[in-house]
Amino acid sequence: MAETADLIVVGGGIVGCAVVQHCAELLPKGARIVLLDRGPVAGAASASCMGHLMVTPDDAQEYAFSATSVKLWAELEEREGGFDYNPTGALYLADDPADVELFAVLQQQFADHGDRAEILDPRQLRDREPGLAHDLPGALFYRGDGVVLPMMACGAMLRQAQKHNPNVDVRPHTPVTGMLRQGDRMLGVQTANGAIHAEHVVNCCGVWAPELAEMAGQPRLPIVPRAGNLAITGHHVTPIQTQLLEISYIRFAHGAAKVDPTRTDDPGGHAMNMQPQSNGGCLIGSTRQFRGMDRTLNKALLHRSLLRAQRYAPGLAHAPIVRTWVGLRPYSLDKRPLIGPWPPLRGLWIAAGHEGLGITLSPITGRLLAEQITGRPTTIDATPYLPARFLR
Amino acid sequence: MSGERIVDADVGVLGAGPGGMAAAKALAAAGLCVVVLDEGHRAGGQIFRQLPPGAPHAAIAEPPSHAHGHALIDGFGASKVELRSGASVWDAKPGRLWFEQDGASWLLRCKHIVLAPGAYDRCIPFPGWTLPGVLTAGALQVMVRGFGVVPGKRALVVGSGPLLLPTVTALASAGVEVVAALEASSRWRALRALPGVLGNGARLREALWYGRKLLTAGVKLQWGWTVFGVEGDGRVQRATIGKVDADGRPRRETARTIEVDVVGAGFGLVPSIEAGLLLGCASRLLPARGGHCLVVDAEQRTSVAGVYAVGEACGIGGAEVAMAEGELAAAAIVRLARGAPIAAGIARKAARERKAADALLRAFAPLPGLHELAQPETIVCRCEDVTLARAKAAAALHGGSHRAIKIGCRAGMGPCQARICGPSLQALACGRPELPMDLPVAQTPLKAVRSETILNAPEG
Amino acid sequence: MSASRLPGADARPVVAFSFEGQRVEARAGDTVAMALWAAGQPALRASSRDGAPRGVLCNMGICYECLVVVDGDTVRGCMQVVREGMDVRRGGKP
Repeated sequence: MAETADLIVVGGGIVGCAVVQHCAELLPKGARIVLLDRGPVAGAASASCMGHLMVTPDDAQEYAFSATSVKLWAELEEREGGFDYNPTGALYLADDPADVELFAVLQQQFADHGDRAEILDPRQLRDREPGLAHDLPGALFYRGDGVVLPMMACGAMLRQAQKHNPNVDVRPHTPVTGMLRQGDRMLGVQTANGAIHAEHVVNCCGVWAPELAEMAGQPRLPIVPRAGNLAITGHHVTPIQTQLLEISYIRFAHGAAKVDPTRTDDPGGHAMNMQPQSNGGCLIGSTRQFRGMDRTLNKALLHRSLLRAQRYAPGLAHAPIVRTWVGLRPYSLDKRPLIGPWPPLRGLWIAAGHEGLGITLSPITGRLLAEQITGRPTTIDATPYLPARFLR
Repeated sequence: MSGERIVDADVGVLGAGPGGMAAAKALAAAGLCVVVLDEGHRAGGQIFRQLPPGAPHAAIAEPPSHAHGHALIDGFGASKVELRSGASVWDAKPGRLWFEQDGASWLLRCKHIVLAPGAYDRCIPFPGWTLPGVLTAGALQVMVRGFGVVPGKRALVVGSGPLLLPTVTALASAGVEVVAALEASSRWRALRALPGVLGNGARLREALWYGRKLLTAGVKLQWGWTVFGVEGDGRVQRATIGKVDADGRPRRETARTIEVDVVGAGFGLVPSIEAGLLLGCASRLLPARGGHCLVVDAEQRTSVAGVYAVGEACGIGGAEVAMAEGELAAAAIVRLARGAPIAAGIARKAARERKAADALLRAFAPLPGLHELAQPETIVCRCEDVTLARAKAAAALHGGSHRAIKIGCRAGMGPCQARICGPSLQALACGRPELPMDLPVAQTPLKAVRSETILNAPEG
Repeated sequence: MSASRLPGADARPVVAFSFEGQRVEARAGDTVAMALWAAGQPALRASSRDGAPRGVLCNMGICYECLVVVDGDTVRGCMQVVREGMDVRRGGKP
């Protein structure tokens, strides 16, 4: 006889863990929630990404989405902790004088939502971060951003979930081998260790979400991997205490991709993003390239990353690099994540496709999904993220 | 600028220990151009550590086998081999070794690679092992025989395997009182080593030499004992020792405290196979040989064309094995390059030495019960300050695989790249002492190097 | 200092450097870690989270427990050979 649960979450990355946490809070006490992952919890993209919490003020919707999520992060730190939450703020830097104009543009965007960012002149910048190159033309400082350790944060979310609801069952190394359905509704999943029946199944598989959807006989989801090359230094060498972003990062990371994401001849691009770690290390990114599931290092892009990092923080030239690697971001073809029900199959839900903002946006994603599953009004307008938009 | 930092050779040898020196010397004698890359400061590796020129060395007693080492070092020094000391190899592919030396980024291009990277001490965490003054057995030997520095006044030597003996004699030579020398294996288990010793004249002479030295120093090796913990205010001041059962499990009721100011711990050696893995060489798990070892054929060829491995990387065996295998690898390369056949004696000698070493080491295969020495608050990953309790919580939540544990608590993600905690991590975190060590992860850089070294890496 | 070295005449020149602002005399060919051990300074860094004292563990460049800051660069004390006048600081958590 098949095991039964109320909710199955497939994919134990940061999004899956956030969905589990918020469902544990909003579902009736005692509801059985099972988290399945074919590898370790936090073993794929969430173990190979950066850890920024980043408020994006592009428009009112994006601002509400990201700022609410960053607030939820602060709550998780207060309630659980243990994931090196560090509200460093963010310094938006520019090298190209043409980019300096962007400081005021971004500052205005924050102001439009009643938030505040300060433009620092070169001296103020040097006072704040003496380890930065001395010829930089100032910066924009935004207080609301921060960094976390995503892998540890996954653990914190699951611990929170289990405190709310002892029936939360976490099963790493348990691959889903089939999606069970009856007509137009989900019945549960088949795993290597037997079937589990449940009314709701949430697909939180990131770049592998299309694979799981296909298992359920659904058309391919519009999510493709976008690779990033990263490097991390040894301990106690970071020349910076604040997260750094090239201001062009905004355009680069969140603007429309200039290449067709489904082709594999993307030369890739780079915008500097550096994050101080609580052990004194420094995480150096970030590059973006569409090239399928390939996780071999792109040396040329990595070099560009290291070179740009040195341009802004010259002390990094002598910093020991301990590890280099590639992570895959789940890029959604319209650049918005998919959060909500998948109407063709009742009981099937999706929370995936956050590209480079999965860490920032995971708490609000978990919240919105839990609210939708339990039929509550949503914290913010969830319409832009409904997966049904791709059915039209 | 970076384009000029390219060295060309017929053969690139990684490591200037006995295996690397023997291979390089033989290759150079056959007229091949050989470059040896070594991270140390002088040739010799860890086993034949040389003092800096000019340092007083008369006091250090050496076992008979070290005569071979001196002869090899002299022959190596007199050969045409180019030795590059202080060279950290950080990236590799067949025919290419990238290295950092004096802060500069270099590339060695060669037709053949001989991997002779040796081994490093296997660490087993116990309470207090992070205190300054707790060192590996190898570290104490380096201190005395490589630098002429006296480790302390009163020493405790603990661990398992033949390497405890040179540690004790090095300490005794340096005038350190060895308060206790504790071998975790039982006397009866150790008897299994006898065939390997008795069947090999040189090893028997070596064993007798150590026996005499211990007697002279008044040190009695205690079988079936180990360290339970170390304490002190900022450095080692005392240690708790006690008996272990046949599996190495501490028998807490036997605990007693001794005053010491330095502890040498050597629970065997772990083969250094990281460069081999990065090159794509096949490996296999051989617990009695120290863990995962590179697979080689009867002529020291790995599974990757043009890449050879000798000595400890193929499984712990000691200097005699390494030297014999180094000569064999050289002979195989010379045959390819010059058409000269391999003398039959060379392959036979390598096989004989390996067999004797295997017979000896079977008696000292890691005892699983020693993983019970660590307490919940004992640090298991020294780089990231991860306690056993946290590693266990990570295994429980994130999964019991090596990777899951690393992800769940960051153990093994620091600058040592899991070389120290890796061999024990899974057994400790899963509470399953019998679990074998997981395969190390092959990664770039193999050793931490400067960002600008990676940036300036010559291509070619 | 002589008490912590093997007996016998040492023909090597003295190399002086600074450790945490204090003058330390070493011998040519010493590593920073060994010179400091001989000078009675076994604690070389503060651990990354707890800030606990750590010193040489492997003495052969594997463990990174002996990290020190030499003239601004973080390096392994057991691999860095002493140079006259070098400025050495404890590594790790400030």
